Amino acid sequence: MSKIIGICNLHNEPHLGEITKNRPLAALSFLGRYGIIDFTLSNFSNSHIDKVYVLVRKGIVGIRKHIGSGAIYTNNTKTGSIELLINEKGLSNKPFNTDINNLRSVINEQDDLDYDYAVIAPTHFLSSMDFRPIVKQHIESGAAITSIYTHVSDANREYINCRKYKIENGIVKESTRNVGRTNEADISLETYIISKKTLRKIIADSQKVSELYSINDMVNYMINESILEVNAYEFKGYVIPILSMEDYINHSLDLLNYHVRSKLFLPDWPIYTTTHNTAPALYGKDAEVQNSFIANGAIIKGKVTNSIISRDVVIEKNASVNNSIIFTKTLIGKEAKLDHVLCDKNVKIVHAKRLVGTSEDVIVISQGANI
Amino acid sequence: MASRNKVVAMILAGGKGTRLESLTKKTAKPAVSFAAKYRIIDFPLSNCANTGINVVGVLMQYESTELDSYIGNGEKWGLNGVHCLMSTLAPRQTEQGANWYKGTADAITQNIDFLDNADPEYVVILSGDHIYKTSYTDMINLHEQTGADVTISVIEVDPSEASRFGIMVVNEKDEIINFQEKPKNPISNLASMGVYVFTWKTLRKYLLADDKDPNSEHDFGKNIIPNLLKDKKKLQAYRFKGYWRDVGTLKSLHEANMDIALDKKELNLYDGDMSNRIYTEDVYSVPQYVGKKGSITRSIANQGAIILGNVDSSVISTGVTIESDAKVTRCVVMENSIIKKGARVHNAIIAPNSVIEENSEINVNGDEVVLINTAKK
Repeated sequence: MSKIIGICNLHNEPHLGEITKNRPLAALSFLGRYGIIDFTLSNFSNSHIDKVYVLVRKGIVGIRKHIGSGAIYTNNTKTGSIELLINEKGLSNKPFNTDINNLRSVINEQDDLDYDYAVIAPTHFLSSMDFRPIVKQHIESGAAITSIYTHVSDANREYINCRKYKIENGIVKESTRNVGRTNEADISLETYIISKKTLRKIIADSQKVSELYSINDMVNYMINESILEVNAYEFKGYVIPILSMEDYINHSLDLLNYHVRSKLFLPDWPIYTTTHNTAPALYGKDAEVQNSFIANGAIIKGKVTNSIISRDVVIEKNASVNNSIIFTKTLIGKEAKLDHVLCDKNVKIVHAKRLVGTSEDVIVISQGANI
Repeated sequence: MASRNKVVAMILAGGKGTRLESLTKKTAKPAVSFAAKYRIIDFPLSNCANTGINVVGVLMQYESTELDSYIGNGEKWGLNGVHCLMSTLAPRQTEQGANWYKGTADAITQNIDFLDNADPEYVVILSGDHIYKTSYTDMINLHEQTGADVTISVIEVDPSEASRFGIMVVNEKDEIINFQEKPKNPISNLASMGVYVFTWKTLRKYLLADDKDPNSEHDFGKNIIPNLLKDKKKLQAYRFKGYWRDVGTLKSLHEANMDIALDKKELNLYDGDMSNRIYTEDVYSVPQYVGKKGSITRSIANQGAIILGNVDSSVISTGVTIESDAKVTRCVVMENSIIKKGARVHNAIIAPNSVIEENSEINVNGDEVVLINTAKK
């Protein structure tokens, strides 16, 4: 039986502006309960990949805080583990802080990781993905790399700047940047199945090609220069790209719709996350809640519509929250009216009475603000 | 407080809980669900964890398998640390033969080896079916300061209810001088909560003596405490202040759930006090969702619940679905139950995994709490 490891790659996370200023995207709250990284780690776990390495670029404290010992995602806590890898030299030398240099520093400083095949996946494409059939097909095919992609019909709006594949007979022939010229496109999910030998080759070759290249860059280079044969595997499940603040807000609120939700959350495919021992949500006598997610520990005494309310949030009497996302431990004071607002955590809205944005222009309140 | 490893807690969790009817048909009473998210035994176990008691034995007998696997290694309450020992103690075969636990005291006697190994100075005896949030530190400190042989936690009850309890009569120093078990004419309003701190040496002696007594019922309330009193041992009362409920009946279980749903704040789960939280099993479900035509007021609900109908004054547990146009009032809906379209349910406990059929009416004008259990098991 081959040894399969998971590599959760946080090096190429997109920036979402204010909400990822002080935290990595992987640790960003999602649906009031999850962290973005939970999806990839749960996909590994549910695919029975129990040895997982997280390539951290920045914000290791936030990641460590969210995943804890990793036991919540791990099947057997003796044979399995989640290890955070960071390239300490890279921290002071940002352009060189790449996933390849991170792996190289591990190989140089310790031993190389022990595996036959690695599944490398980022966190900014949310899905419920079973890697087992993909790994099986990869091993049988004997290809150097299998790259997982999704076919989309809205590439003119979504997945801008992602890699667009040209595929012939199951082989990726060309990888270009999606600039939104067509609606139909095969978009790379930056998720690869790769043998140890090939990954070592990529790490070694990158020194000759460019010290600044990431694994994605190297794979694209190898495709376009026909250096390696890269298999294409179409993932037919639901994918939510989190590439911008707009993506994050709109796709979060889309999940209020049951039909959308049931495409992401599949039966027998739990998404694991850390527990905070909070009490159930409490609703007061004047609570009015419609079409919203309410996380545990929330206290709702006012009105909430089309919104996502996280753990330990308090919505006071006569407050109203519409089309908004409220992060952990935020207080929405009496009489406050919020529409199209994203409140980061530990915010207190006590003086402001009206915060009204639009679906195109959501008001973002920074962490800890007191307004 | 005494050094933490000097104190061992023993939780009595073996009873059948007959008065909870079919809720305990396949489940031990301490494993019955409570307040949308918890199980009853989470409360004494969390109290132990928050007190800093590291060694805990849970005595089980009736339907012990489910309770045993729920308790596991104590990880849910943090009782799996390097200085911790969490042990589930069911009756077993020994050199002396195989015996069921004959009473609360006998359950401890049969596990004397466990306690001898832990070698505590004090043993805290707790009940697995009480709802309260506390630290036992003050009580243990009082026990240590007074040098008592046993300290009994007491709570003031309404005189009209005193005959339901074991009643303690105390002197000016709160030393117990007399004891009445469920008296017709109570002479005090201090009820025993069934929470004891014993000096282990004394308790050990009395347990061994009780074991040899052919007329004994091997019960703490009926035998051990009266024997200590007879021998003029030092029995100290500890006055407990705060919320405490024995949830042994459907009515009291329903009431205690309502206390939390209606936010009476006597048992405050929302005080933000991080040193006094109640820990429990976590489930991997999405946050609760309230639908476009749903409503929920004066209630608590746990993650995984889907509320498309109308809910008031109720407890909605994990994975429960309230379908559209259903109306649920004063109900405790336990995990994974479904209330179908248009159903009306009032003043009821809905057992786990039950289904209330479309448009059915249950107890709509009823004053008495009813139990509905349609689950297969």
